[in-house]
Amino acid sequence: MPRAKIWGFLAVILSAGLFALSVFSFFIINNGDFSTFSSVDLNGLNSFTYYSAAIPVAVIALWVLATGFWIGWVILTIKVVPPMPEIVEKKDNSKIKAFFLCLITAALAALLVYGVYIRSFWSLAVPALVISAVILGAIFWVGMAIITTRATLPVNKK
Amino acid sequence: MKICLLTYRGNPYCGGQGIYTMYIARELVKLGHEVHVIQGPPYFPEMEGVHIHYLSNHNYFNIKKDYIKPHKPFATFEPLNFYEFVASKFGIFPEIETFSVRAFLKLKELQKKHKFDIIHDNQNLGYGFLLIKLLGIPFISTIHHPLSIDRSTWFEYPSDFRLKIKRVLYYPLIMQGFVARHLDHIITVSEDSAIEINKAFGVKQENISVVYNGLDTEIFRPLPGVKKKPNSVIFVGNVEDRKKGVVYLLKAMTLTKNRFHLTVVDGGAPNRMYVTKWIDKFGLNDRIHFTGKIPGDKLIELYSQHQIAVSPSLYEGFGFPAAEAMACELPLVSSDGGALPEVVGNHMETGYVVKSRDPYGLAEAIDYLLDNPKERERMGKAARKRITSVFTWENAAREMVEVYREVINAYS
Repeated sequence: MPRAKIWGFLAVILSAGLFALSVFSFFIINNGDFSTFSSVDLNGLNSFTYYSAAIPVAVIALWVLATGFWIGWVILTIKVVPPMPEIVEKKDNSKIKAFFLCLITAALAALLVYGVYIRSFWSLAVPALVISAVILGAIFWVGMAIITTRATLPVNKK
Repeated sequence: MKICLLTYRGNPYCGGQGIYTMYIARELVKLGHEVHVIQGPPYFPEMEGVHIHYLSNHNYFNIKKDYIKPHKPFATFEPLNFYEFVASKFGIFPEIETFSVRAFLKLKELQKKHKFDIIHDNQNLGYGFLLIKLLGIPFISTIHHPLSIDRSTWFEYPSDFRLKIKRVLYYPLIMQGFVARHLDHIITVSEDSAIEINKAFGVKQENISVVYNGLDTEIFRPLPGVKKKPNSVIFVGNVEDRKKGVVYLLKAMTLTKNRFHLTVVDGGAPNRMYVTKWIDKFGLNDRIHFTGKIPGDKLIELYSQHQIAVSPSLYEGFGFPAAEAMACELPLVSSDGGALPEVVGNHMETGYVVKSRDPYGLAEAIDYLLDNPKERERMGKAARKRITSVFTWENAAREMVEVYREVINAYS
């Protein structure tokens, strides 16, 4: 097997394994009993220790939520000439959806900031899980692409 | 003067921005300057006297399959490539940002040897340029028009929520505005664009200079002995670019008393999504012919075979297709979108200017010119005269050098 494919398999196995491990540790190991996590006390940590982990995670999560809010805001507030009636096929309800996008992202951002402030375990765990899932997903995807890419030119049968 | 030009896509065959760097580089060399070009793919060809430096990328945004190169299978895991890969999966267009960082790394290496007097970017404006500023070299950019215009004209057409999200993510307006405000000077290609850049990006008017684009009138010229097709109209441009206003031209076709035939020179069938639906809707299938992508000499032949050219754009930062048609002695029906009136010149002298988004005005103008062959001939000749006297690359390069000198003097 070509060396590239071996590394491709490793990337796939490693990313899938790490993702499975995080799912296992959150959802299976405690038989779905999330109260164990809710009772994790982060108040006992030194403030410097807590915020050195909380701030980077919160900043990334807030950046993603702010991007979502900004998208909704642009769609909601952009002023344009209405389209030519002949080419309108169905009613456009984008503005309503954009309003809800703004509302949801703003509410989640407020919840996140409050959660970080009261040192809730979930306010760090959920963003961290999502961020790592995205990175592991990308590694898995590239690994699969490496495995399925033809490493040499096809044999010319003629 | 040692000049370094930056262009994230060098391809000279895909719209106004593509050909800009190539012609400016050529003319600057003719004026005796040392010109280096750092370009991203697709690259323009080697040119005599121009030092070309290549920056590759994997084009993850456009290539959805087979992006792993067999000879470099792990390239996607390199930091900039990995960022580009992940961002493109979320609908962000990361090429601008990553080019700016790659250009910084390249410039750092080249500066040791070449000691550039000025760096001139072509509408990239990525965050990496803030690092280039730290090199202590005067740094300017050409903004053809702010992309906020593309975004708002796109929103004029019906689409669903998902597509609108994609469009908002696609245009890096916050980054470009921020970077534009931090550069030493901005060049743009029309007075109208200067106003729009000031409005959209907050760049002060005194920091913007207008240098009109040029046109190669040796290439774009009327071909002798080519017979015109009766009742023929030509449109050149990307039909899916919503600011080109094709839908208004289609509507106008249903309103004219002359049943003319329209030739559309566009990027080819894979790039047509909406326009074919609109053609069906207006019942115009037997009156429109798409050429797809064609070589330059074929385009010039087509201009010579047609009676009228139409440019119904909602906005143009300059409007190369309009200028090309005029250079080929075609009477042009143009909208007043953006800089088109600056290029076309006086209404009824060098072109027929109508309001943008006005299919009735377009129809009236097309009928008028189809009914008046003498007027077509007179207007076509006047149009070419205007282009050959005002819009040359030589003029553009000379004016550019003046701007370079002013910026360098102010910098030192």
